[in-house]
Order: sequence, then C-alpha cells, then structure tokens
Amino acid sequence: MFFKGDSYTVAVSDDMARGGWPGGQGVQWVKANSDIRMVTYSQGLYGGMLVWGSDESGDDYAAMTRSQPHYKYATILLGGSLISTSTYERYTYASRIGGGPLVPLDYQPNDLLYFSLRGYWTKENEADIIHTLFAPAFFTGFVAQLPKPSNRFFLGIQTSM
Amino acid sequence: MPEIIRTRDCTVHFKGDAYPVSVSSIMLQNGWGGCQGVQWADSPTDEFVVTYSDGLYGGFLLWGSNEPADAWTALSGNQLKYGFAILCAGGWLTSTSNYEKYTWESRQVGPLVPNNYVVGKRLTWSLRGLLTCQNEWFLSGDPRGSNTYYVAYVIQKPRPSNNWNLVVQTAI
Repeated sequence: MFFKGDSYTVAVSDDMARGGWPGGQGVQWVKANSDIRMVTYSQGLYGGMLVWGSDESGDDYAAMTRSQPHYKYATILLGGSLISTSTYERYTYASRIGGGPLVPLDYQPNDLLYFSLRGYWTKENEADIIHTLFAPAFFTGFVAQLPKPSNRFFLGIQTSM
Repeated sequence: MPEIIRTRDCTVHFKGDAYPVSVSSIMLQNGWGGCQGVQWADSPTDEFVVTYSDGLYGGFLLWGSNEPADAWTALSGNQLKYGFAILCAGGWLTSTSNYEKYTWESRQVGPLVPNNYVVGKRLTWSLRGLLTCQNEWFLSGDPRGSNTYYVAYVIQKPRPSNNWNLVVQTAI
C-alpha cells in the first residue's frame, strides 16, 4: 500500500473463514444474524477490499498467523488508495471458464477496473458478460501501473470506492 | 475586492488525498501549472508515473512546476529536478486560475469565446488536462465518444471578487 484510504474492521462470512482469501480480495456486504457488519466474497459488487490475506506467508510465525479466520474478522479498505496487488485476474473470463487456452488480459494505464465474479480485480465487467441481475458492475479502480518484472508482476491500482 | 489572497495556481480551501508520484519526461520538458489534470502512464521502472490528462484521471497536481510564488524558495524547480509532483485525488475544495477560459471551438480558430461556468455544473478534464465545462471528447470527434469522467463541480464561477479563479469541489 502506497497511499491508504478509509479502513475499518468487519466480520467475515463463514464461507470466507473456511475458504480463506488473499490480500486485495474484493468483498461485498452480506446479511448477518447479529448486529455486526459482515462481508463475503464479492461477485462483482462492493464493499471494498480486504487489506490482508487470511494466510499470507508474510504473516508466518507472527502474531497475525491465522488470527483473521480464527476470530472471523478482517480489515476492509475503501475510498481512494494507491496499492499494488497480486490478486487480479490474469486471463479473460471466457478463456478461464471455456476450457480453452488461457488468454492473458492486456492491462493498460487508466483502464477501468471491476471486481470479477470471484472478487479479484479485473478490467472485464464480468457481471455484464454473464448478465447478472445487478449488471453492469460499478468500477472500483483504475490501472495505475502495469504488471512487469520490476514490480514482480503486481498490478498498480488507484482505488475509487 | 478579494478577501482571500490567491497567489498560487491552485489555492486549497479543503484538502483531500495527496501523495507523491513521478511525472513523465514530456511533463518534465514542458512543465505544468498547478491544478493540472493528470492520468497514469506506463514506465519501465517500478514507479507510479503520471502524464498530462487528455480527459482521463488520475487526479490533479497541486503545485505548478514554475509558479512565481515559489521563486527564491526551496521549492524552486525541485519538482522538475527530481521528477516528482504531488497528486491530489478524492474530495478537495480549491480555487484555481488554471482552467479552460475559452470554448474548445473558439480555441481552434478564434475569435476566443469565454466558457460559461455555472454553479453546480459538472466538470471534466479537457484534452490538455485543464478543468472545463465542455465535453471536448465529443466536440473533437474523439473515438472514445462522450467523456463521462467527471472530476469536479463548480462552486463559484470566475469573477473579479475571486481574482477570476474557478472555485471547485473535486470528486476523484
């Protein structure tokens, strides 16, 4: 993270606590049975993104190891931030689900970004592609830096949520 | 008589988000005014680089590269020297003297016709990255069509009592 927008703690759904998530995961709000604010994997809607993954190697042997899925909480980030993340879609939606050869997404500076149907950053409006009820999804950021060897193929993003 | 002293291209009344970014070589060669709109550009290095906006954002640069208010101060020329600037995004309340004063059509062939800024109207970046009330993508036949990347609202139109500054609330 190079510039931080708004952040606060939220509860994560049982699905997320079981399945885990990477840092940069897009999340959307979900109904909870108690008076807590709960998020789950984004399917194109937002919320925001979770700053830290549930099992990042950078947390190994640290006090944070597994604490998020254990206590079922995470830190959500929204507003305007400048970040780099490895949690983005590398390949087109059609090639990922079609069984064919994977077709890389060609990111360019200033491309609008959305959350994919699994909550990763992508330039494709996947909600629109499969005609979900809430389509088209709102954009959640812009490409600020392209993936390349000098940034270990991270995607630079200016968030806008 | 103006009650606020406006000695910079961009006078800040309320501050939003701000952080340093690298600026492109073409900007370093040609300079920029305060409140210049910028968009992201590619770079071979691991830097976040911006260049002049042609209607997209980014954000805007807080300080111009050669503002008179910086003369004989530590800020003189240091943005150009080190190749950085302060990018502004989010919600700001600013006055600026660096906006499109004349219509896109009249700037092409003359005579110059002043733009008519209206309080509450939405603004975009022009094709050279200045605030404008016109849709320059549409007017110029840009293949991108109509520019809907709105970046600000007019709070106060230019007039003698504000030194002919355009006062805007940004939403970037």
